[in-house]
Amino acid sequence: MAREGRNNVLKVENINVFYGNINALKGISFEVNEGEIVALIGANGAGKSTTLKTVSGMMHPKSGKITFLDEDITHTDCYKLTAKGLAHVPEGRRIFLQMTVMENLEMGAYISKKIPQEDFDNVFQHFPRLLERKDQIAGTLSGGEQQMLAMGRAMMSHPKLLMLDEPSMGLAPILVEQIFDIIKDFHKAGTTILLVEQNAEMALQIADRAYVLESGTIAVSGTGAELAQSDEIKKAYLGG
Amino acid sequence: MIIFQHLLNGLRLGSIYALIALGYSMVYGIIKLLNFAHGDIIMVGGYIALLLIGAQVSPVIAILLSILGCMILACVIEKVAYKPLRSAPRLSLLITAIGVSYLLENLAQLIWGADPRSFPSSKIIANVNFSVGGVTVSLTTIVTIVVAVISMVVLNILVQKTKMGKAMRAVSEDTGAAQLMGINVNRTINYTFAIGAALAGIGAILYCCSVPQVKPTTGYLLGIKAFVAAVLGGIGSIPGAMLGGFAIGMAEVIVNAVGLSSWTDAVVYLVLIVVLLVKPTGFMGRSMNEKV
Repeated sequence: MAREGRNNVLKVENINVFYGNINALKGISFEVNEGEIVALIGANGAGKSTTLKTVSGMMHPKSGKITFLDEDITHTDCYKLTAKGLAHVPEGRRIFLQMTVMENLEMGAYISKKIPQEDFDNVFQHFPRLLERKDQIAGTLSGGEQQMLAMGRAMMSHPKLLMLDEPSMGLAPILVEQIFDIIKDFHKAGTTILLVEQNAEMALQIADRAYVLESGTIAVSGTGAELAQSDEIKKAYLGG
Repeated sequence: MIIFQHLLNGLRLGSIYALIALGYSMVYGIIKLLNFAHGDIIMVGGYIALLLIGAQVSPVIAILLSILGCMILACVIEKVAYKPLRSAPRLSLLITAIGVSYLLENLAQLIWGADPRSFPSSKIIANVNFSVGGVTVSLTTIVTIVVAVISMVVLNILVQKTKMGKAMRAVSEDTGAAQLMGINVNRTINYTFAIGAALAGIGAILYCCSVPQVKPTTGYLLGIKAFVAAVLGGIGSIPGAMLGGFAIGMAEVIVNAVGLSSWTDAVVYLVLIVVLLVKPTGFMGRSMNEKV
């Protein structure tokens, strides 16, 4: 499905992932091309987060192959992938609650020897709220601010692929809008994005392409607009 | 004046407990393991220093080699005994730690015999006493307190300011997220063991200088008391371990001062029981959410 003139950033081929005896991902394949926003949508427990965890090396597949920027990363250790240009904002944000906002951003740039001031400025430009709170302990931030910090932290490593797991989870509608606007900004600035969302409506609005996961397999795929129009999808995921 | 005397003695004992408690707390913070072999590393450090000085090695080099020996030993234990159990239930890890502790004690007994050996403390710190306004202070006391405080300041800078320190804090808060930042978790755990063991090595020399003897079970009671100090301070917390160490040292000295010296050890255990009943998180501990 790769579009002409666009390089393949991530290619997942037929991966099988197990939690003990439970086959969580049953041979799924998908790809993300340079400059795209690709959404993975689906119900709770469909395997969306597992997919991201497997790509970022937090889990490893039993079979199948994952290629990132033409390199086989199927069994690469998680911590080595950050330097290769992969950033994963995990489910539940997982910011360092006992560190300050600044320290969290520094951790995001852990792989770089020296952190240019522009990188901080860039994050603060997208998230002015974080600048106001830069010396605060991250645990004192609101849910929306924590999500912003998690995304800002991921941007500090200049990712070639940014993977976001449920960025809208638990946020008020107005904040969800804001977060999606920022995802669009990142995208405009040239970041390739793989987005996992339960909020299928919002996700399909901004996605170039999307895959629908259903109990560990890919049920449907297509462009964001196609899927948003599909009756089947509307019924199953868009509440009508 | 007598109060100052006791205060100084308490600080001296407390700073040794604090140095050792730090190792317990740091390791607990990072892999949720109560490393009961930590006390026995002190014993090994004591023997290394004793044997090297006995072999006419200069005391400074002997001390450095003994600290290095503690660090290497701790890293080897981590690699051989704990790392294979990284994803095992915490209880398996705890039992392994107790096993390693027994192994070290019995190995020491096999190699160096069960009898206490006197420690050449005068070769490390001269046996000098100062008298100021009715208070007598030995040079050992001064050196112990000063060295312990310097070590803790250095540790604090290391943990707060350096990249490795930040990695340690990140791993201890959320191992998974730390990996996603590009932090090599295994290496960070190794560093933590090494730093904890270096502090234990410093504590070993200071302790052996004030006892002054070494025996295979030297680390046992010392380790347990430092563990109580770590729990009292809030296990996992670095400032907590320092505070807890000084508190236990003071408590022991006070119990001795009021003439109940045969009750010293009992009081330490009593402190543990009371802390666990009243405030299990200690002075500075955070409420613990057991991670699955």
